[in-house]
Amino acid sequence: MYTKGSEALFIPHWVFWLICVLSLGIFVRTIKRRITPLRQAQKDPRFNQWRLRISALIKDGFLQIRQPRYPFSGIVHLVIFWGFVILGLRSLQLIFYGLGIPFIDPFSTQGIWYRYAQLKDIFEVLVLLACLLSIIRRAIFRPSRYKGSSQLEAYLVLSLISFLMITDLAFDASHIMLQNSNVNTISLKLLSNFFKTFSPSELSYIFSISFLLHLLTFFVFLNLLPISKHFHIITALPNVFFKKLTKGSIKPARYGIQQLEDLEYLGIKQITDFTWKHILDFYSCTECGRCSDNCPANLSGRALSPKMLTLKLRDSLYSAFPIFKKASEQREVIGQVINQEEIWSCTTCGACERECPVFIEYIDKIVDMRRYLVEQGENPSTFNQVFLNMEKTGNPFGRPAQKRTEWIQNLEGIQVRILKKGDEVDTLFFVDSYPSFDPRSQSITLAIAKGLSMAQVDFGILGPIEKDSGHQVRRMGEEGLFQLLKEQNQKTFETIKFQRIITADPHSFNTLKNDYDLKVEVYHYTQYFLELLKGGRLSLKGMPKEGRYTYHDPCYLGRHNGIYEEPREILEKFLGIKLLEMKRSRDRSFCCGGADVGLWHEVREEERMAQKRIKMALEVGADYIITACPFCLMHLEDAIKTHGLEGKIQVVDLMELIISVC
Amino acid sequence: MEIVVCIKRVPFTQEVDLEIAPSQKDIVKEGLAFVLNEWDNYALEEAISLKERLGGQVTAVLIGSEEDEEVLRRALAMGADRAVRVDPGDVYLDVRGISKILTRVVKDMPFDLILTGAQADDTNEGCVGVMLAEELGIPHASVVKGIEVLDRTLRIRVELEGGTEEVSTIRLPALLTIQTGINEPRYVSVMGIRKAAKKELKVFSLEELGLDSESIKPDSIVERLYFPPEQGGAHMLTGDPATVAEKILKILKEKGVIQ
Repeated sequence: MYTKGSEALFIPHWVFWLICVLSLGIFVRTIKRRITPLRQAQKDPRFNQWRLRISALIKDGFLQIRQPRYPFSGIVHLVIFWGFVILGLRSLQLIFYGLGIPFIDPFSTQGIWYRYAQLKDIFEVLVLLACLLSIIRRAIFRPSRYKGSSQLEAYLVLSLISFLMITDLAFDASHIMLQNSNVNTISLKLLSNFFKTFSPSELSYIFSISFLLHLLTFFVFLNLLPISKHFHIITALPNVFFKKLTKGSIKPARYGIQQLEDLEYLGIKQITDFTWKHILDFYSCTECGRCSDNCPANLSGRALSPKMLTLKLRDSLYSAFPIFKKASEQREVIGQVINQEEIWSCTTCGACERECPVFIEYIDKIVDMRRYLVEQGENPSTFNQVFLNMEKTGNPFGRPAQKRTEWIQNLEGIQVRILKKGDEVDTLFFVDSYPSFDPRSQSITLAIAKGLSMAQVDFGILGPIEKDSGHQVRRMGEEGLFQLLKEQNQKTFETIKFQRIITADPHSFNTLKNDYDLKVEVYHYTQYFLELLKGGRLSLKGMPKEGRYTYHDPCYLGRHNGIYEEPREILEKFLGIKLLEMKRSRDRSFCCGGADVGLWHEVREEERMAQKRIKMALEVGADYIITACPFCLMHLEDAIKTHGLEGKIQVVDLMELIISVC
Repeated sequence: MEIVVCIKRVPFTQEVDLEIAPSQKDIVKEGLAFVLNEWDNYALEEAISLKERLGGQVTAVLIGSEEDEEVLRRALAMGADRAVRVDPGDVYLDVRGISKILTRVVKDMPFDLILTGAQADDTNEGCVGVMLAEELGIPHASVVKGIEVLDRTLRIRVELEGGTEEVSTIRLPALLTIQTGINEPRYVSVMGIRKAAKKELKVFSLEELGLDSESIKPDSIVERLYFPPEQGGAHMLTGDPATVAEKILKILKEKGVIQ
């Protein structure tokens, strides 16, 4: 059943056939070229865990639950996105109408398709409003996170979308007026007063011209997508679907290769060394800048901006695989596109990845670039001794393995079992290097040992046979060394029977949990001591000192492993502290400076991350910053000392606090 | 330029409480980590960067057991082209013996330059390089801190006492013993070392080199190893790092080291 409407269109169908075939032809060609690098890229096994992927697609793709983390632009985006979903069918209706192929009648006056017409009218108006708001926001408020994004393109696309809405509304309204039908839609309400002044022949001009303009705009827009940041309209949903499902871990040096020695080189040298998913990341970036808006490196004036990293790599990919121009020979990435300072600026805190609405991955890419640099010997020279020490002595300090247990001497009257091959124990306390050797970190170690002993936990440590967990070296790009340390530790684990591992440091916790292949449960002490407190195995005798307390979420406890509540529960329920939360807390916590590169390499910056963090704590009026990580403790304490804030604010590890009232 | 670098694997003794073996002729090596001698690392880096600039090949030579081969692999991973290990078995070697063996190995090789570390971290004798040059009858310089290649000569900077430096020219072929700090040795990744397993590494026994025990007989032997007797004069500072730092500062001021 097709209405008289088609007759009213005085443009012949072949015009639309021409437009449609031409533009689809160009579109298909462009898409094919965009697929080429995906095929040349490295493997990445993401065709798995369908159930999780589908649920991610629904939650993060369609419901876009990350969008409202930025309330204004998030809601505006949701409106536009849902407008697109609803209006997709409308576009098909109109295309078929133009081609003269029977499809759903765009002019239904009753039934479900009339309801649809009303709905699409609502969304066209909403999308139009959302676009206008976005334009105003960009033009007047100029959020800093758009720095370096293509503004022109954003305006162009917002205008095109607005124009699409306007032309369809005009097309629809003029048709209804021409037909004199008694339907009453928003488009008509909005435009009837204005259209009343036109004669029927003028109306039919409006009808046909707005239709033509609408379809032309539609096809221009379609062809603009794969060559602009609006490619995300096509790639974002697949990118969300194929998102990384594991947390905290680092990707293997190369998927599908057993003998890494056989590789010509490790990591990223040229653009096609990225995996296909990482190339899809480049396609999907919306340039929204939320990553950089939360990146501590960017905020403290370092060379790194995650958004610019993606944009630079994307542009270099586009010039190596162009649509129109001659391909650039230049495929090398490091030094040419991304400089070393950017690569070493990242603390792997994960704030960017937590924020990205389309789930672009950064840490794996950065670590992969580091792997290349390390293998070429182009790492900061200060790493050389650290790596060698790790390899030879199992700790970054080059201290003899026998001295790994020296901290025990400071435990008065408490016995710590040093486990040997064949031993059996309930809880293995994996101390790791800093908590073993670093005098400040040792205070956490001692507190844990005391706490375990008070709770009468059957625990032991590995002592001289424990090697560094390798968390740092892996993130610094020394993959071979990480594999070596992991192998040595896993072999040691096999010789001892234990039920669980607990760690002092969120980094060792993360690596044992996510980078090792262990069958037992790994706990950070915050989780384990919460259990001990809840089970009544450990009871507290008093209250901590009066004062205003805030809690700083360590990146590898919070963002990378989702442990936000356990430390808070200990603090609020068991220690009776009413926490003052900083604006950047939980998954928006602000990195202290990190536990890997930053320990051995000075990156140029305007202000230390730890110093910024201390300021945030002072802003909420805290006297004490509680944390649960030896590195946070170290960096934050340093910042207090170097900025003369001693006496004003103090950093305490949660374990120290617990033991002070045991 | 054809370059030979003589290297050694030594115990990593940083912060280790060394023990003397019951024989009193050696330290207890069990449980110690072993590394490439630091000075040799600089010599290797110098050789490899010279090769990278001028072409030619670098050969690393080591006298030691199969366990010591690890540092040869490291040398190959750094960029050496060939590696030679001489396995002396249980023979006792002093600096004379070592330089005799090295002479025998190097003599058959084409070389323009031989580099050794200025000394080894274990025995600190600093003799082998010089003795090897004497055996080969080539000019040598010790404790070199800079090399500049001129046509068939090198302009070298040698570290002297009290911070003075001497610049001189030396005719090739020559032997230089290298001081730390001459360059910045590159890092060799664990994967790089594994990859270097494919490169050639030749092993010779003393017999294969035609050396009998007489020809490498030691001139000197270790009689007894002991810790220097404790003497007064040490002043132990105690307290937390801040207090200790303050005390050090005070002493340095008292002694006139700083104003």
